[in-house]
Amino acid sequence: MPMHSNILFQNYFSDFKNYDEVLKSDLSINPNWEKLLKNLTQYGNQILIEKQNEINWLLEENGVTYNVYNDPKGMHRSWRLNIVPFLIHQNEWATIERGITQRSELLNLVLKDVYGKRELVSSGIVPPEVIYGHRGFLRQCDQIQYNTSKHLLIYSADLARGPDGRMWVVNDRTQAPSGMGYALENRYSLSRMMPDLFKDINVKQPTQFFDEFNQMLIDSAPNNVTNPNIVILTPGPLNETYFDHAYMASFLGYPLVTGNDLVVRNGKVWMKTLKALKQVDVIIKRVDDAFMDPLELREDSYLGVAGLLEVVRNNQVVIVNPIGAGVLENSGLIPFMNGICNYFFNEDLILPQIASWWCGQERERNYVLNNMREFVIKNIDRSNREYLHFCEFLDDLSLNNLRAEILLNPYKFVAQEKISFSTAPDFFNGTLEPRKVMCRTFAIANKHSYNVMPGGLVRVAAERENLFVSNQRGGISKDFWIISDEFQNSIQSYSWNNNNKISLSNVNDLPSNTAENLYWSGRYLGRALTTARYLRMVLNRMNNEQYNNQNSESRSLVYLYKSVTNITSTFPGFVGKNSEKTLQDPLKEILSLLLDENRIGSFAQTLSSFNHAYYSLRNLWSRDMWRVFDSIKKLWNKFKENETHSISELSKLLDRIITRLIAFMGLIEESILVSQGLLLYFIGLQTEQAMMHIAKLRALLVFNYSEQLQYEILESFLTSHESLNIYRYSYRSYLSVENVIRLVMLDTEYAKSLHYQFKRIQKDIRKLPQSETNSGNNYYSLHISESIKIIENLDITNLLELNNTKTLRQNLDDVLSELSNLLHKSSITLSDTYFNHAYQQKQLVNQNFPLA
Amino acid sequence: MIYQVSHTTTYNYEHGVSFCHNIATLKPKEVAGQTLLDYHLDITPIPEEISEKIDFFGNTVTRFSIQKQHSKLKVIASSKILKEVSTVSSIYNNPAAQQITLQQALLELKSNSTEILHVKQFCLESVLVANITSNIKAYAEVSFQPNRSIFEAAFELMQRIYTDFEFNAEVTNVATPIHDVMKLKKGVCQDFAQIAIACVRSVGLPARYVSGYIETLPPPGKEKLIGTDASHAWFSMFIPYFGWVDFDPTNNQIPSNQHIIISHGRDYYDVPPLKGVIYSTGKNKMKVAVDIRPVI
Repeated sequence: MPMHSNILFQNYFSDFKNYDEVLKSDLSINPNWEKLLKNLTQYGNQILIEKQNEINWLLEENGVTYNVYNDPKGMHRSWRLNIVPFLIHQNEWATIERGITQRSELLNLVLKDVYGKRELVSSGIVPPEVIYGHRGFLRQCDQIQYNTSKHLLIYSADLARGPDGRMWVVNDRTQAPSGMGYALENRYSLSRMMPDLFKDINVKQPTQFFDEFNQMLIDSAPNNVTNPNIVILTPGPLNETYFDHAYMASFLGYPLVTGNDLVVRNGKVWMKTLKALKQVDVIIKRVDDAFMDPLELREDSYLGVAGLLEVVRNNQVVIVNPIGAGVLENSGLIPFMNGICNYFFNEDLILPQIASWWCGQERERNYVLNNMREFVIKNIDRSNREYLHFCEFLDDLSLNNLRAEILLNPYKFVAQEKISFSTAPDFFNGTLEPRKVMCRTFAIANKHSYNVMPGGLVRVAAERENLFVSNQRGGISKDFWIISDEFQNSIQSYSWNNNNKISLSNVNDLPSNTAENLYWSGRYLGRALTTARYLRMVLNRMNNEQYNNQNSESRSLVYLYKSVTNITSTFPGFVGKNSEKTLQDPLKEILSLLLDENRIGSFAQTLSSFNHAYYSLRNLWSRDMWRVFDSIKKLWNKFKENETHSISELSKLLDRIITRLIAFMGLIEESILVSQGLLLYFIGLQTEQAMMHIAKLRALLVFNYSEQLQYEILESFLTSHESLNIYRYSYRSYLSVENVIRLVMLDTEYAKSLHYQFKRIQKDIRKLPQSETNSGNNYYSLHISESIKIIENLDITNLLELNNTKTLRQNLDDVLSELSNLLHKSSITLSDTYFNHAYQQKQLVNQNFPLA
Repeated sequence: MIYQVSHTTTYNYEHGVSFCHNIATLKPKEVAGQTLLDYHLDITPIPEEISEKIDFFGNTVTRFSIQKQHSKLKVIASSKILKEVSTVSSIYNNPAAQQITLQQALLELKSNSTEILHVKQFCLESVLVANITSNIKAYAEVSFQPNRSIFEAAFELMQRIYTDFEFNAEVTNVATPIHDVMKLKKGVCQDFAQIAIACVRSVGLPARYVSGYIETLPPPGKEKLIGTDASHAWFSMFIPYFGWVDFDPTNNQIPSNQHIIISHGRDYYDVPPLKGVIYSTGKNKMKVAVDIRPVI
């Protein structure tokens, strides 16, 4: 193929230094890549640029994120997928597959030995320090007997092509390997966006692999349970690969839980659900080993479950992978791996590794120290970049510090040869560029051996010259194709794009943490919408006043400003001390209520709290919801960048946000089943709306105003409540306090009346599961019934009665205050009953050990 | 010598506890020269679940959980122990072992014998004895010199800690890092043991932590009050061709019949007498009382 003339390849040759996946040493094209390059070329450069943009957009819209800790842009950074896949022919893959299987089997035996007889140590194959000095070696897991077919149930290897043209093992991942979800999403997005890329190419699909994965989970359940309860344990939405956890949870159809959703009792692990405790048989672990049991392991951990290890010891639960498997993520083992392979299998490793020297041995140490610049030096038990030292780039001082560190604890260090791995084409700024790549592969235990996923996740170095490939710095990924000469089914034939597949069949089984997040999602959304509408109304009034009367200050506006502070509980604000000053520049205060994320009660803060609850539940949301939510975020972020904000801009922004919030709320109702917890969302939403409603009534209708002022206030109230038209329709009369109260408090049919809202809460609360433990203290329901009784017995004349000084409607205020109290009480008792705050685990003695 | 020991730990919970999981390392170890004649653990409220197992270091740990609401937890470990250190070969009767130098010991530690492979893990860093700094090493090297007997060196180290450090129960807690103790030169038995362990490991020798009790004698003419004894801790160093030798830097002596061993670990972190996770929202108050009496 005349690649030289292809614009895509224009710069590929100019700075081609390394060896490449596509170009052979004589600069001819590797035939395996020909069809792909042809398909790419046929798209044409301009289309490819568009496709890349579309994919970026699609992934962002779908909320595919990778969180980076300590990064200002960090949370929910978009995942990036390059349109050019990486590929390997089946013939070569067969060898790699054998190599991965061999290494899985080998590491399985190492794991068994390390926590068992430790023959590798006693027979001198592995130095004791490599095991005993590795922080992943958990003495608490010593001698645990497992009943699963293998100890190591999931294994993940990072591979890269070495100078000899073979794929080398760069890292072993055994603790909580991530990336399967990303790999799936990559394949799905690419097939959807660029079907023609697959033309005439037979790409193996991972469908069967995931079936086998599922089967492995079922088979590993203890006591031969036929229909085991399987959960995915995540550290939570702040974790860098939370997307991966949530994606796998919804793909496999297993609940996504955090440590506080689980509890150990009577020698078993239970999931706290709304109804009762439900026994858990298998836990897919995405929390690091040391954090899994605050009783026996790290006591500062809030991510695990106290007492879990003992349940594991008694074979009443299976953890995938077992706690303690982190000892295999050990670069100290690398120099001894071939010896281990010969010890167990009497054969050599199939997949080569990077030449490594363990500094615990004197001869090796001296060699390393005498040639430090030649090496990449690693800590045996830390794989983060901070612990990787590329010695050729270190200055003398850092090199000497490192040398001193090595001499102090030589057994902690391993030196590896500098290796330049192969590059593959990456689509960048309209052309192809060679970039270093690293392939993450996955293997799953079966009854006899291991199954390897055909393909995996390919990550690309962030910059052209970069040596190091890592997601931590926000890298790019690629779809990983294993191509075959035989026909393969296409990916679409398997319907895995199923966001709502959830095995929980009814609301009783809803994990209480999910329930709580749904409840709060409702509360925050209710608050966000009411706040936004109220602020919009005030802004519009400001705009009108400015237009009508430039100089004199409107009295009704002052009342509205004060009500804003009362309704949002953002004191002192427009009331209390220094309010005179605040009132001189009301826009400043309103801006703060809109935009200040650190101010409790502000719109920005409500939205960001909702954000948090929302991400915790991401496995429940549909793609449409992501899209709408994303558009709110974008609108918001763009607006925040503006330096000045005029009143009309602000009100326009609120218009757009309110529209989207309403669309979003509509989607929630159609995307989540009541049994998935929609009930809790409704209760939260109604509760918050009722609370805000009461606050508004108290702020605006209690005071007795002069006629003109009264009119303006009532009109504002109805506008913010979106009830003006209904009022006109129902009463066809001049605005009166009496009629307004009748409509928004007492009406039994109108969805925005307080009476109706309480009725609605009551109806939903009655559907909540009752269990032995919570039937006795069903106060939340009693509080609501009491409220409804109060409302039903209200007498309008009594409510309208003025106090002695004729300044306010004392009876109205008293009633509203009582209703508000009852609602708060009901909300607290509901939380206590269903969300298990009493079950927060904590240490008996807070020891605060300085743990590394 | 026979001792009756009772070790009582009481927790009062401000808001009550709905349930708890606990681990107790309170059962005295059976070692040469120390026989456990009787032991029982009384826990109130009575745990729904209780089990015993041997941990990685050969200590007996008891796990228990209480699954009903309670506002007070009381754990009483009562043991009857026979101490006969005279029956065990003493380092004092072994001139050869007393003379092993640092150089010789380090050479011997390179061997691949099962015992050496096992004790070598006590040369490595542990949770509370980590990142040993050069000033700790320098402190150790005053006593530990290549051609000097390691027994002599360890003995001197024990004496120096006894003289240089002030016993003060107010300044440290279980989590105080050894580096702070080294700066303050103040602490309790557990701090002194861990400083000594850091020193011994800094020169490449194996050292372990010993958790136990020591019998304290009342002032002359006064009767001993119940509960005035305390949990105690000291350190132990491995001497090749001989074995582990204990040193008590708090009392400047080689432990004998007055020292009762509960457990061994790399440091305190491996062998806390009682720990647990409670499900509660309030604070709690802890009280410990230890009473050791010779039985006639």
